[in-house]
Amino acid sequence: MNRYLKEFLHRGLVFAGFGPVILGIIFFVLEKTLDDFSVSGGQILLGIVSTYILAFVQAGVSVFNQIEHWSLPKSLLCHLGMLYAVYVICYILNSWIPFEWGVIGIFTAIFVVGYFVIWFTVYFVAKATGKKLNATLK
Amino acid sequence: MKCIITIDKEHEEEVLIFAHEKTKLIEDILNLINNENVFTGYSDGEIHRLNLSEIYCFAVEDNKVYALTDKDKLQIKQRLYQVEEKLSDDFVKINQSCIANIKKIKKFDTSVSGMLTVTFKNGYRDYVSRRNLKSVKERLGVK
Repeated sequence: MNRYLKEFLHRGLVFAGFGPVILGIIFFVLEKTLDDFSVSGGQILLGIVSTYILAFVQAGVSVFNQIEHWSLPKSLLCHLGMLYAVYVICYILNSWIPFEWGVIGIFTAIFVVGYFVIWFTVYFVAKATGKKLNATLK
Repeated sequence: MKCIITIDKEHEEEVLIFAHEKTKLIEDILNLINNENVFTGYSDGEIHRLNLSEIYCFAVEDNKVYALTDKDKLQIKQRLYQVEEKLSDDFVKINQSCIANIKKIKKFDTSVSGMLTVTFKNGYRDYVSRRNLKSVKERLGVK
């Protein structure tokens, strides 16, 4: 098996369980804060499966960033593209967002902006740390 | 240097060295006796004695521990945690599978994922895990 695929599956399986746990916490908070909050058994099941897949993919796709022969744009595009596809499908299937092009457009814009804000923050913090560490090597 | 070996099962085992000064040879003998700073590496049926100073890093591949030197990659027949216990302050664990010799690090780079990578002077590359970043920074005196 390709070592990246193996790593993808390994990371995905390690972290997938966190998805339903987070969903459970969100349902718990909603139940405590909203008077008319209720979910059916079918919705809970769909939510559990969806968040399991979300967490699996979210953890697994980080392996794209380690494929050294991929260029930076390719790596980012595949990472962002796969995350976006899984998120938008799960959100629509669970009716967390309605299947309307306007709403999907806003969701997409928020997702892409959020993605790059997080990426730039993490990247430049790491770059600054690397610079400090390099200074000690001289 | 004159060498005398006396085989005597009644006497406690000991090594005495009379020398005019502490030379490299004496340090090597001490390392050998104390089994410190020396590892045994295996490659293609050959056995090599490795001083810590010539090891760039210890890395795990396929559940085997290897010592990487300037040009060689030698298997160490110990677990990584056992190796770690014997190492000096020049070594720091950079991820679950690699212990690096700080003196052999060429540079740190940032990967696309925001993870730090280490390039050693022999060209070998590995990454610094987030879990081990704190100890790497502490060892290098970075806050």
